[in-house]
Amino acid sequence: MSDTPREGGPLETAALLRIGAEAVERARRAGAEHAEACLESLRSFTVRVNGGAIESLKQSVTRGLGLRVLVGGAQGFVSSADLAPASLDELARLAVALARFSTPDEANAFPTPADAGDEALPELGLVDPALLAWPAERRIEMALTLERVALGCDPRIHRTDGASVSTRDGHAALVNSSGLARVSSGTTVSAHVAPLANDGEGKQQTGWYGMVKCRLDELEDPEAIAREAARRAVARIGARQVPTARVPVILSPDIAAAWIGELFEAFSGEAQLKRTSWLTDRLGETIAAAAVTLVDDGRLPRAVGSEPFDGEGMPTRRNVLIERGRFAAILYDHYHARRAGARSTGSAVRGYSSTPGIGSHNLYIEAGDEGPEAILARVERGFYMDDQGSYGFNSTTGDYSFQAQGFWIEQGARTFPVEGVTVASNSLEMLRNVAAVGSDLRFLGSVASPTLLISEMTISGG
Amino acid sequence: MPEARSELSDLVPRELAAELLELGRAQGAGFAEIYAERAVVSAFALEERRIRSSEYSRGQGVGVRAIHGQQTGYAYADGFDAGDLREAARVAARIARDGAPGGPPRGFAVVEAPAPFSLAAPVTLTLDPARKVELLRRADEAARGHDGRIHEVSAGFADSSKSTLVANSDGLWAEDRHFLARLTVTAFATEGEVRQHGYAVGGGSIEASYFEDQRTPEQIALEAAGVAITLLRAEEPRAGTYPVVVAPGWGGVLVHECFGHGMEGDVIRKQSSIRASQMGRLVAAKGVTIVDSGLVPFSRGSFRVDDEGTPAQRTVLVEDGVLVGYLWDLLNARLTGNRPTGNGRRASYRDYPLCRMSNTFIEAGPHPPADLIASVRRGLYCKNLGGGSVSPADGNFSFQVTEAWRIEDGRLAAPVRNATLTGNGDDAMLKIDGVGNDLLIEGSTGSCGKDGQWKPVGVGQPTVRFTGITVGGTGT
Repeated sequence: MSDTPREGGPLETAALLRIGAEAVERARRAGAEHAEACLESLRSFTVRVNGGAIESLKQSVTRGLGLRVLVGGAQGFVSSADLAPASLDELARLAVALARFSTPDEANAFPTPADAGDEALPELGLVDPALLAWPAERRIEMALTLERVALGCDPRIHRTDGASVSTRDGHAALVNSSGLARVSSGTTVSAHVAPLANDGEGKQQTGWYGMVKCRLDELEDPEAIAREAARRAVARIGARQVPTARVPVILSPDIAAAWIGELFEAFSGEAQLKRTSWLTDRLGETIAAAAVTLVDDGRLPRAVGSEPFDGEGMPTRRNVLIERGRFAAILYDHYHARRAGARSTGSAVRGYSSTPGIGSHNLYIEAGDEGPEAILARVERGFYMDDQGSYGFNSTTGDYSFQAQGFWIEQGARTFPVEGVTVASNSLEMLRNVAAVGSDLRFLGSVASPTLLISEMTISGG
Repeated sequence: MPEARSELSDLVPRELAAELLELGRAQGAGFAEIYAERAVVSAFALEERRIRSSEYSRGQGVGVRAIHGQQTGYAYADGFDAGDLREAARVAARIARDGAPGGPPRGFAVVEAPAPFSLAAPVTLTLDPARKVELLRRADEAARGHDGRIHEVSAGFADSSKSTLVANSDGLWAEDRHFLARLTVTAFATEGEVRQHGYAVGGGSIEASYFEDQRTPEQIALEAAGVAITLLRAEEPRAGTYPVVVAPGWGGVLVHECFGHGMEGDVIRKQSSIRASQMGRLVAAKGVTIVDSGLVPFSRGSFRVDDEGTPAQRTVLVEDGVLVGYLWDLLNARLTGNRPTGNGRRASYRDYPLCRMSNTFIEAGPHPPADLIASVRRGLYCKNLGGGSVSPADGNFSFQVTEAWRIEDGRLAAPVRNATLTGNGDDAMLKIDGVGNDLLIEGSTGSCGKDGQWKPVGVGQPTVRFTGITVGGTGT
């Protein structure tokens, strides 16, 4: 590969706004009282390498439109990748026809320019010109480097489950019949590698490390990514089960981030209004240790979860969900805010093919001041959890029960690697039992946490 | 599947297909393939007694794959514009460089394969929106009416229709059409400070009449509500490793995750699965037979031809405990000298095919299910599982158990909440020590994720007893 993909870039922002306005207009003509168009255009490139060669190379330029209408207060929605004028007419008619099957609801509305405020949208540094100009062969080279370096880190690493580098760039637009028109652009690059280590007895252990960033210069050096992935694989060699016990557990930054990603739903206005979560009616109460401050920030500069406006065109902002232990805010999109008599917190999240829902932008626990090694040193006997299974959270009860890997701690030091266990507790207990918050906050994606020490959880083992 | 021919051959006529395949091999790739798709999805969501949204989405386009040795080039275009398709073919072709052009296929031969079952009146072509909304209303009513402690209900109805066309440089031409429908109900219960929810689903590749004569909205709703109410009084599971009995049907997600993923042709070819070196060996307990079949009637995981045009088939993976066969897609079968088994599947035209399961299940054994439970002195009965996952390279798996019961002296003593099963797939199938005679294949709900692609699957098993699985929880 010597040439950068040139098969036309994504549709430009002016074109998206024009098509969006066109779609809204056609929906109005078809009988919608209110209409909203959400558009995306995206170029993506992914290279996967395995065994020192390209395994696959995938490239695409896509676009799509989601059209939401209100007819008599009832909502209809259609989406399509076909933006031709004839198609827009058909979609508009379909959306209007569908709306009559929904229930009229006076809380249904789209934000007006007055709702959104007239502030100038901030420059968040979400587009990296260097990434746009990054030649395809460099991307391929980086993927090959990730794998090669990982393989060279330790003789016990014989192969990898592949390395990959992906880039995306594109634009999003939001236009509604109240006169709101917004457009934004972004770039992302992701890189990861999954080395496999052999323990000599035919048992294989995996390591995985990688990240997604908006800008090329925010990506860790590929050699550092590869070394960390290799370290993780080798650290697993010889892992064994431990007996069932109730002990302090350190959640690695990855594991703590996965947990707060699960917690998030309980803070949504939807769960609060439906009274379906373990945080129902607890706003204002102390729900966590004082060391815990949980934030969702849509405007962190150069962060992959940032966007200047949300999926309905409302300005994003920094929302503090837990402030030094106190449940401080509920997150709303426009609909649930109207239901609750509150203001949207800029938390409507969506792609073009779905209606908005309440979601997070950059969700994280604020860093404390203790280094992760100091936290480890505090644990006399316990478990350090650094990998988990995919399922094990109950969003209604907050129950937490995950398959876990990591290592055993004795006298403040790592002893041996552990697998074949689960770690269980309840999220409310865990929040209250946070005994230390590390200083090591770092974003590998859009959800992040420093190291957390939970004073007691149940390890289930042999 | 009322008809196997789709309108796609008008949108991508044979001459255009031949030209795209020639472009795909213009740089020396040995194989090229196009995959065209038209899909529509309609969805209705009921929340808080309201039909919150009525939705429709359409996806259509063509993906072009070029294979050069072990390397895949892939590009796609939304829609059917000939210029866009040619550009996609040129981009995919660049996986090879400066090789001799392969030329167009010498003609196309239509793949003849019988449909595994036929649908006279699939949901998408039969039920109008008003009927679908009515199903949601009935579910909502039934769940709320079950018990005063049910305070909220969410329900969704979604159905889809998808036409596909595959043509490749070997001259293969295959078309298919897929219909799916699903009704899901989540019921929320509360009593004092305790909150719980229950979930149930019905659907598959089904006739519209399914929701009247197979599984009504009321049945689905009562199942969801019943689980939520049962869990209100559930206890924490005892943490530790002990005997576990898993109920038939969806419990087959265990064999899918713990065993099936390691049998897929890509990880076998790359030898990253422990199964790659185990042909002919005992990999499961005697008496355990494991099958993958794309032919299961009315399941989400079934099809006439896979997404590479290979007819669906029944593949025995394990016979009486012995590993006897793997799953193959086209690429991995070619590279290893095997025959494709109809397991080349992709999420949409935006993805290249991967080797993956269709409907995977443990065959029925000899035991009445009641005997399997009665034989356990102290253990766990997993009546319903939630999601599960496995890390194929190291074998570590886990499953969320949504409804479980503590077994004491062979009886179901008390409901258990928040249990997680964990272990290593390498030996999980060896720990089976009892197989029931009540095989049930659950084809209404499963979606399997692999490399970011989600695909409908079926899973199944009879009641199965394991000697010991590690159960996560906080009880003692």
